[in-house]
Amino acid sequence: MSSPLLVLRQIVKNYGGVRALRGVDFDLRAGEVHALLGENGAGKSTLIKIVTGAHSPDGGTITVVGQRVVDLTPATARALGIACIYQQPALFPDLTVAENLALRLDATNMHARIDWTARRARATSLLSRIGAAISPDTEVRALSMPEQQLVEIACALGSGARIVIMDEPTASLTQKEQRLLYAVVQDLRKNGVGVIYISHRLEEIFALADRVTVLRDGQSVGTHAMGDINEAGLIRLMVGREVAQIYPAAQSAPGASVLSIRGLGCKSSGVHDVSFDVRAGEIFGLGGLVGAGRTELARILFGLTPADSGQITLAGKILHLRSPQDAVAHGIAYVPEDRRRHGVVLDLPLAQNITMAVHRRLFPKTWLRFGAERVLTLNYIRDLAVKCAGPDAHGSSLSGGNQQKIALARWLATQPKLLILDEPTQGVDIGAKNEIHKIIRRLAQEGLAVILISSDLPEVIGMSDRIGVMAQGTLRTILPSGSDPHTVMAAALGTAA
Amino acid sequence: MKRYFRELSVVGTLLAVLLGLALFAPAFFSPQPLLSLVTREAPTLVVAAGMACIIITRQIDISVSSIFSVCSVCAGLLVARGWPLVLVLPASVGLGALFGAFNGFLVAVMRLPSIVVTLATMVTLRQGLNLIRQGEFVNLPDRVQWFGLSQTAGQLVLVGFALVLLVTLAWAMRHLAAGRYLYAVGTDAEAARLAGIRPQLVTLFVFVFIGSLTGLGAMMNLAQSPQVQPLTGNGLELKVIAAVVVGGVAISGGRGNLWGAFAGLLLLACVSPALTHLHIEAYWEKAVQGAIILLAVVADGLRSRQSNR
Amino acid sequence: MSTAAHAPASYLRPRRDWRALLTRHEMLLLYVLIAEWLFFYFAGTSTNRRGVIVGFGTWDRQFDILRHSCEIGLLALALTPVIITAGIDLSVGSLLGLCAILFGKLWHDGGLPIPVAMGLTLGIGALAGALNAILITALRLPPLIVTLGTYSLFRGLAEAITRGSITYTDFPEKFLFIGQERWLGLPTQAWVFFMVALAMGLMLHRTTFGRAFRTIGLAPEGARYAGLPVERRLALAYVLAGLIAAIAAIIYTARLGQAKADAGTGYELFAITAVVLGGTSIFGGKGTILGTLLGVAAIAVLKNGLACLPVVMRLNAAEEMSGLLTGALLLVALTASVLPKILSNLRPHRHTSAQSTPQLSQ
Repeated sequence: MSSPLLVLRQIVKNYGGVRALRGVDFDLRAGEVHALLGENGAGKSTLIKIVTGAHSPDGGTITVVGQRVVDLTPATARALGIACIYQQPALFPDLTVAENLALRLDATNMHARIDWTARRARATSLLSRIGAAISPDTEVRALSMPEQQLVEIACALGSGARIVIMDEPTASLTQKEQRLLYAVVQDLRKNGVGVIYISHRLEEIFALADRVTVLRDGQSVGTHAMGDINEAGLIRLMVGREVAQIYPAAQSAPGASVLSIRGLGCKSSGVHDVSFDVRAGEIFGLGGLVGAGRTELARILFGLTPADSGQITLAGKILHLRSPQDAVAHGIAYVPEDRRRHGVVLDLPLAQNITMAVHRRLFPKTWLRFGAERVLTLNYIRDLAVKCAGPDAHGSSLSGGNQQKIALARWLATQPKLLILDEPTQGVDIGAKNEIHKIIRRLAQEGLAVILISSDLPEVIGMSDRIGVMAQGTLRTILPSGSDPHTVMAAALGTAA
Repeated sequence: MKRYFRELSVVGTLLAVLLGLALFAPAFFSPQPLLSLVTREAPTLVVAAGMACIIITRQIDISVSSIFSVCSVCAGLLVARGWPLVLVLPASVGLGALFGAFNGFLVAVMRLPSIVVTLATMVTLRQGLNLIRQGEFVNLPDRVQWFGLSQTAGQLVLVGFALVLLVTLAWAMRHLAAGRYLYAVGTDAEAARLAGIRPQLVTLFVFVFIGSLTGLGAMMNLAQSPQVQPLTGNGLELKVIAAVVVGGVAISGGRGNLWGAFAGLLLLACVSPALTHLHIEAYWEKAVQGAIILLAVVADGLRSRQSNR
Repeated sequence: MSTAAHAPASYLRPRRDWRALLTRHEMLLLYVLIAEWLFFYFAGTSTNRRGVIVGFGTWDRQFDILRHSCEIGLLALALTPVIITAGIDLSVGSLLGLCAILFGKLWHDGGLPIPVAMGLTLGIGALAGALNAILITALRLPPLIVTLGTYSLFRGLAEAITRGSITYTDFPEKFLFIGQERWLGLPTQAWVFFMVALAMGLMLHRTTFGRAFRTIGLAPEGARYAGLPVERRLALAYVLAGLIAAIAAIIYTARLGQAKADAGTGYELFAITAVVLGGTSIFGGKGTILGTLLGVAAIAVLKNGLACLPVVMRLNAAEEMSGLLTGALLLVALTASVLPKILSNLRPHRHTSAQSTPQLSQ
C-alpha cells in the first residue's frame, strides 16, 4: 500500500459543553476509498468539517502527505488538494455551470479577463469525464438536485484534489446516476486519489470501499478492511453500547386511537404511502436516518406542506390541513427541529413566546391581557422548571434545554390532542435531556398522543411505546418498545438484518 | 434562448410597440425628433447601467437623482468659471464617486440597509443643494452645448458615447472577473465569501461605480442645454430603477444583464412619445410606467413561483 | 420540583428598571426634542415694535406646528406597523395625492355630499392598500419594488385624472373647518391625528395584532411555525396604510382648501424618516407609536423652528435647511442604531452556548 495522504491523530472537538469528537484517529491512503460510518451525531460531519478547515479542532494533529498542518482554513485545505462534496450542493443558482466551476476553481483577481471558451471547454471535459450529460451553459437553478451534485463532483475533479470527501453523495441520485457516480469513484481511485466516503447504504459501502472506519459517540471504534467484516458486524459496531440511560417507563396502557393516517404522501417533499395510528397516552417514536422523511412527515401533519394523497383522521374527524392554523385549530402541536429559527423567537420575551400559539384562547377579544399572560407563563416556567430570569427574559438568554422547554410550553398551552416533537433533545445537555424525557413521559401519562422524532437511537428506543422506522420517504416497519437497537438500525439502513 | 427569455420578451414588447407606432404614427420615426429622444435618454442610460450593477449585487441606490443634480450643478459652476471640459469631466465623475463611496461605506462597513441609507443621502443632498443654490439656474457658456459642435453632431457624439459605454460595460460584466463577482455576491454573499470573494469590498466598489457613472451622466446632460437647473435629476432614481426592473434584473439580486436594462429603458422612454403620437394624453405617462413596472414584477413573481414547484 | 427558586412571586409584577427606561430610544429622542424646542424658543422668539411677542414662542406657532405635522404624522403612523413587519411602503405619498384628487372629483364632479365622498375616499385608500397587500402576500413579491411600482402608478393616475392641471377648490366652509379651524382649543385635524395615533398605539401595543406584526418582523418563519396567520396580518398592515393615507388626503385637502395631483409629493420620505428616527428598526420587529410621534414632532419642530430664526441663522431657506437637517438626522440615527451591534461584534462573545450547532459551512 502507498503512503498515507491524510493522517488524523487524537482529534478533539468540543461545542460548548458537548464533546463532539473525543480523540479520533483516522488515516487515508492514496488510491483507496475509505468509508466513514456511524449513527447521526456520531461525529462524522464534525470530522469532515475539521478536514475541510471549516472548523478548527481543539486538540490533535492533522498531517497531509507527511506534512503537519496547523491552522487549517477552507482556503489552505483547498490549496492542499482537499475537496468536499456536500449533500446539499452549495452552488450559485443564478449562474451557469461553467461559471460556477470557474468561480470555485480559479483564483482570480478583480480585473482578470474571463475566457469563456476555455471555461466552457473545461466544464464540458470535466462533466464528460464523470459522464454527466449537462450543458455547461445551463443555469444551475434549472438543474435537479442530483445534477447539481454531479457539478460539485466535477468541481472536485477540476480542482485536482488528492483527497475527495463525499458526504452521502447518492442520497438523492437515481439508480443510473448512482452507477455513474460509482464509475467516477473508481476512476478517482485509479488516479491515486483518496476518497473519504460517507454513506448510510451498507451495500454501497461493500461495493465501493476498501476500508471502513466506524465512529460512535465521537470516538473511532475500529477501522477494518472490507473483507474482514460483514453487515451484521458493522451494525454491531455502530450501535455497540447498551441503552445505558434510564428512561422513564410507561405506567399505564395507551387508550383509544387519536391519530390515524392512511397512505399519506406529498410529492414535493418526497413522502409517500405512510400509514400508522397513534393512541392516546402513547409515545410513537419515529426513527430513521437524516433525510428519511420524518421531518417532512411532521410538516405535512402540521399543515406546512399540505398532503396531496392519503387521509389524516384525528379523534375521529377527517382533516384537510392546508396551513398551520388549521392544524392548531384541530389540536395538533409541532415542536420543530430547528429551535433557534422556528421553535423560539429569540428576540422576544418568554411570555410572548409561550402565548404565541394561544392568542385566540388567551386573548379572545384580541386585547392583550398581561396579567393572564403572566400567570400562564409563570405556570409553565414552574411546571417545566425553566431556568430563566423571569417571564420578561428574552429567548436568547436561555440555554438550549431551557429554550426547548419554552418551545414545548408554547404548544402545551394550546392543550393539544397530538404533540409532535422533532428532535427535542438535540444539542441539549444531559441534565436537561433527562428532564425533557420525564416531561414527555408525563404528558403521555396524562393522555396526550405523542409522536417523537429522534435520531438518537437509545432515546427513540427508550422513550417510545412503539417505534416506526422510516427510510426513503416512507414508513418501513413498526417495532415494539424495547426493540433491539440492531433491528432498528437495520430497518433504518434498509437491510434485512 | 431559454436563458434570456426574460430579456427577449422585453425586446419583443419594445419591437411590438415600435411596430404599432410605425403603423399608427409613422411620424414618430422622423429622424430628428427620434435622435433627440434618444439623446435625452443617453445620460439616463449611463445611470441605468450603474443601477443594473447595483441591483444585481442585491443593493439599491435611490440617491442617484440627488447625486446627478449635485454633479450637474457643480460641473456647471466649474464650466461657468472657465474650466476646460477635460478637467470638469473627471471632477464631476470624482464627485459622484465620492458620494457613492459614502453610501458604500454605510452599507458595506456599517451594514445598514441600502434603501434607507440612500434615502437619507438623497434627502440630504437634494435639500443641501436647494439650500445653497435656492433654485438658481447655472448659465453655461456657448462652447459647452453640444461641445461646440452642431446639434446633430453633438447628439450623435453623445448617443455614440453612451452606446460605446454600454457595450464596454456589458462586455465587462460578462468577461471580467469583477463583473462576475457582482453576480456571485448578489446571488449568495456567504457562498461568495467562501469562494474567496470579499463581498464587502464588492459592495463598496459597486456604490462607488454607480456614483461615478452618475457623475458621468450629469456631464452628458450638461452638454445638452444652455443652462443647468438644480432640479434636473429629480425622479431619475425611479425612472432608472423601473427601467432596470422591467429589463429583467431581479430585485433579489444575481440575475439580469445590461442589455435587458437597455431594452427596458427604451421601452419606458417610448411611452411618452407613443402616447403623444397615439393621441392619448401625456398625463398618463407615469401611470403607464407604474403599470409596466408592476406587470414586470408580477411576471417575475409568477415565473419564480412556477419554477419553485 | 424545586421551582420556588426560579419563580418568586415578585415576577407577578413586571419589573421596572428606571435606568433602562431613561436610556430608552424614545427618551433619548425626547431629550433631543426638548433641547430643540428650547433652542428655538430662545433663539426664535422676539418682540416686535408694538411690543407683541412673535415667532416660535407663541401659542399660535405651536398650533401651527401641530397643524402642519398632521399629514406626515398620519403617514408615519401608517408606516410604523409596515416597517415593524420588516416591510416598507413607498406608495403612501402618492396615494395621498390620488385620494385627494378622487375626493375632490367625487365631491365636485360626482356631486356627492362631503361625508359620502369622504367615506368613498377611505374605501379607495383601503383598496389601494389592498393592491399592495395582494402583490406582496399572495405573489410573495418584495415590498420595496411593489410599492415603488404603485408609487408611480398612484401618482400617475392622479396626474392622468386631473390632466396635470385641474385643481379642485371652493370646498364648503364646514369641510374646511377640519383643516383650518380649531375645535376644543386644538386644530381640528389634530384630533383626528391623535385618534388615529391612539388607535394605532392600542393596536400595536395592546392587541394580538401588534404581537403578530412584531413576530413577523423578527422571524417570519418562526411566526408561521407558531401558527400565526402571517399573510393575513401582513395584508392588514398594508391595507391600514392605505386607509390612513386616505385620511391624510382628506385632511390635506381641508387644510389647503384644494386638491391637486401633486399633493403629498415626497411625504413618504419624511414619514419614513420620522419612523426610523422614532426608533423603529428598519430590519423589523422593534418600534413604538410613541417613538414615531416623537420622531414626527422632532421633524415638525425643526421645520417650523427654523422658519422663526433670524435670517442670519437660517440662511433665508428654512424649508431646505430643515430638509437637510432631517436627512442628516436620519443618517445619524441609523448609524447610532447599528453602533452597539458593531461594537459588540468587535468584543469577544460572552457565552458560547452548548447547543450552537455549527452551520454547514458551504
